[in-house]
Amino acid sequence: MLAIETTGLTKHFGPDIRAVDGIDLRVEEGEIFGFLGQNGSGKTTTVRMLTTLLRPTAGTARVAGVDVLANPGEVRRRVGVALQEVGLDELQTGRELLTLQGRLFGLAPREAKERAARLLEVVTLTEAADRPIRGYSGGMKRRLDLACALVHGPRVVFLDEPTTGLDPITREAVWQYVRELNREQGVTFFLTTQYLEEADRLADTVAIMDRGRVVAEGSPAALKAAIGSDVVTLAFAGEGEAARAAAALERFEGVQRVVRAEAEVAVYLPNGATAVAAIVRLLDDAGAPAESLMLKHPTLDDVFLRATGHHLEEGAPAAAAAPGRGGSR
Amino acid sequence: MNGLVATWLLTLRALRESVRQPANEAANAFIPLFFYVVTVGAVGSVAREAFGVADYKGFQLPVAVLQGAAGVASGAGLALTLDIQSGYFEKLALTSTPRLAIVLGRMLADAVKAVILGAGIVVLAVLYGSGFATGAAGVVVLLGATFGFALAYSGIGVAIALRTGSPQAAQAGFIIFFPLLFLAPTFAPVEVFAPWLEAVARVNPVTYILVGMRTLVTEGWDAAALARGGIAVLAVGAVTLTLTLLALRSRVRQ
Ligand SMILES: Nc1ncnc2c1ncn2[C@@H]1O[C@H](COP(=O)(O)OP(=O)(O)OP(=O)(O)O)[C@@H](O)[C@H]1O
Ligand SMILES: [Mg+2]
Repeated sequence: MLAIETTGLTKHFGPDIRAVDGIDLRVEEGEIFGFLGQNGSGKTTTVRMLTTLLRPTAGTARVAGVDVLANPGEVRRRVGVALQEVGLDELQTGRELLTLQGRLFGLAPREAKERAARLLEVVTLTEAADRPIRGYSGGMKRRLDLACALVHGPRVVFLDEPTTGLDPITREAVWQYVRELNREQGVTFFLTTQYLEEADRLADTVAIMDRGRVVAEGSPAALKAAIGSDVVTLAFAGEGEAARAAAALERFEGVQRVVRAEAEVAVYLPNGATAVAAIVRLLDDAGAPAESLMLKHPTLDDVFLRATGHHLEEGAPAAAAAPGRGGSR
Repeated sequence: MNGLVATWLLTLRALRESVRQPANEAANAFIPLFFYVVTVGAVGSVAREAFGVADYKGFQLPVAVLQGAAGVASGAGLALTLDIQSGYFEKLALTSTPRLAIVLGRMLADAVKAVILGAGIVVLAVLYGSGFATGAAGVVVLLGATFGFALAYSGIGVAIALRTGSPQAAQAGFIIFFPLLFLAPTFAPVEVFAPWLEAVARVNPVTYILVGMRTLVTEGWDAAALARGGIAVLAVGAVTLTLTLLALRSRVRQ
């Protein structure tokens, strides 16, 4: 059975905003599915449709084997959700809120209490558990919110940017727990993120969203392999030089693809190391010398750049997300 | 999840909230008691000559109870908007609980608070010198009516809250309905009203609720008055619950 399956899933807000524009997803049971995309690409809207908070404009979706339109109540019973914005009641204590959440999912009183205690431990909130949430820090709130998604032992869990705003240590702990639940209990995760590293490290499959559409999908390794080449990233003094360089590089022997993002050019070619010297000469001849040059194996950011024509993290140089991780996983 | 259990759990949560924010409830208790004492002080001594009411403290008692209930019943709508703004409403809506329970839990909490406040007002009024013609059984009936009225009345704020998600709108909408309490035989019997006010009062359901309650205090068991009051409570409840259900539907599935 597929954990998540959509066909032509679409959400328009009015005639102009095509937040999600006909996406077909197939998420296997037991998979960690990474949903990547920049601000406004439609990630949250997709999550909200799949979790019955939004009615699709068109298309169908089945989650945990249940049609979201035909039987939303059953979908809610089977899935856990942590939305992008934490949603907590500040007057309750963490333990009260988590226990109530469990009870509302139909757990018996004892069971709800035990689950709450266990999860508070997992998200390292045991000490703060009996204090009002009003006094929690942002990271503590997010961790509690995360625990809420898991309290009823769902088979499919949606996490909308779960680690945004967490410090690196807590982020690592969240990843650890996601992996553990996934491996030991076969829980399926649908995880939206803007962090390439997160997708790369956690996800079995990633889908890249751009303006409401899925523009690339596959395992991180396969996506990187599909680039099938090395990436030479060049930075220029200005966009003019970059444009000139890109035009020259298009004609360079063996180049598979050239992508320019502002004053930066990424060149995809099979044997980067041997070509570097010739590229430098070519650029000099073209009157567009590079200010910096980097050769690396493709990363998910390169996949992203190639699929969408822009970087995921606005303004981040293609190389910045990369060092040491090229070809990892 | 069983809807009744869920409703009760959410009622408890809302009540716990009141305990943690006692200032709100103190204001809810102060206002009706203040008006009660002031009205009795101003009009009480002339009530018999002016419009033939012997026990004006008793005459005003149900007014205070209803006013208290109406004040308390603004809580659900306001609290709901805060839940919506904080995102907690969605968190609750993502559980397998029937969504009506989320709303009903809030409304029931108001009704419970209104009964507690009503009981307090009755006790204080009696200590102050009001009679209570139907005794303890009458008090129970009066508090039952208070429960029903608060439940029904809270639906107004809740419907507005669900429609708009805005605390200001929930408050404003509530204030618009507050005059209904005074377009009724609040200070004097309808018989002495100007004709236009009498006409308005006669179509105002609050009139029948108030008069029914008042017979319990000042006259004795009056089945017809109680029946009219009960029907009025049900009618208000039917309207506000329908509005609430419609608003809930538009809120949860966009
Ligand atoms: N309720 C709404 N009404 C109108 N437009 C909306 C609504 N919700 C989302 N949108 C629009 O739909 C598009 C997709 O938004 P969405 O929140 O799904 O993006 P996202 O990928 O989650 O972005 P982010 O990374 O910033 O969270 C955006 O253009 C957004 O402005
Ligand atoms: Mg989002």
